[in-house]
Amino acid sequence: MITVTKLNDKEVIINSDFIELIESNPDTMITMTTARKIIVKETIEELIEKITTYKKIINSKL
Amino acid sequence: MELGSIIGFLSGTFFIVFSLLLSASFNIAKVAKIIDPPSVMITIGGSIAAVLIAYPIPRILNALKTIGKIFKPPIIDPKESINKIITLANLARKEGLLALEEAAQSMDDEFLKKGIMLIVDGTDPELVRNILETEMSYIEGRHGDVRGVWDFIGSIAPAFGMVGTLIGLIMMLQDMSDPDALGPQMAIAMITTFYGSVIANFIAIPVSNKLKVFSGDEMLIKEVLIEGMLSIQAGENPRIIEEKLKAFLSPALRNLESGNVDDK
Repeated sequence: MITVTKLNDKEVIINSDFIELIESNPDTMITMTTARKIIVKETIEELIEKITTYKKIINSKL
Repeated sequence: MELGSIIGFLSGTFFIVFSLLLSASFNIAKVAKIIDPPSVMITIGGSIAAVLIAYPIPRILNALKTIGKIFKPPIIDPKESINKIITLANLARKEGLLALEEAAQSMDDEFLKKGIMLIVDGTDPELVRNILETEMSYIEGRHGDVRGVWDFIGSIAPAFGMVGTLIGLIMMLQDMSDPDALGPQMAIAMITTFYGSVIANFIAIPVSNKLKVFSGDEMLIKEVLIEGMLSIQAGENPRIIEEKLKAFLSPALRNLESGNVDDK
């Protein structure tokens, strides 16, 4: 789960495991496996950073 | 300027008047008899009365105003709309969706403005489509209501013409003492049916139909705009968007598009 910011500055939390692809149009658009698209303010690099951080956290607390 | 409506009304009036003159061998006195005040009262007066009973006054006034629309239609240009979308698409490609906010403010199409503002606010594509389609059907509904008044006039005028004819016949049959007067009396009885029929078939029904055609064109433009705006939100390539929207046009119009696209 990662926090992202929509265009209207609202923050939502999405399930990063359902991310199918991320494009830059130049707005970052995340396409989920459910075919839902969400446009966010973060750049692609920032998103990758968030996802890897999340994965590190959940995989280390064993 | 819608030439068709003007030519139609002028030529129609001319044909009716001229054929009356011809069949009366240009005897103006004879033709003048067709203007009969009691008949006018029954047909036109009766129709107005019926409309007042059938529809609330604001709706009637609104419908009467729209007769101006058939002579001076709102400028509906699908090519223009597609070009606007492509401009916005290129802008979004270069500078992102938020740059559209300013561009949308300068556009005078309210529908387009509304859609772009929804997109810039980060609204879900499903919801954007929903809202815009609801707006479209509301506008279409209003158009239909106005046409309803004209359709009503189109059916009520001949009906009142019939009422007039019945009155005439009743009066005539009550006193058959003068056989020579029967013909002319019968003729007068027919005048109301004539008025009613002309009002319905020359005015009310054609006006209603023209409004329907214009409404259809307007709705097509709005559909084009919806598809265009959602494609922009989905980040599609402006060239692809252009191809997609051109499908809405007739083949003849499509070719005139190609000079205007700014490729990116």
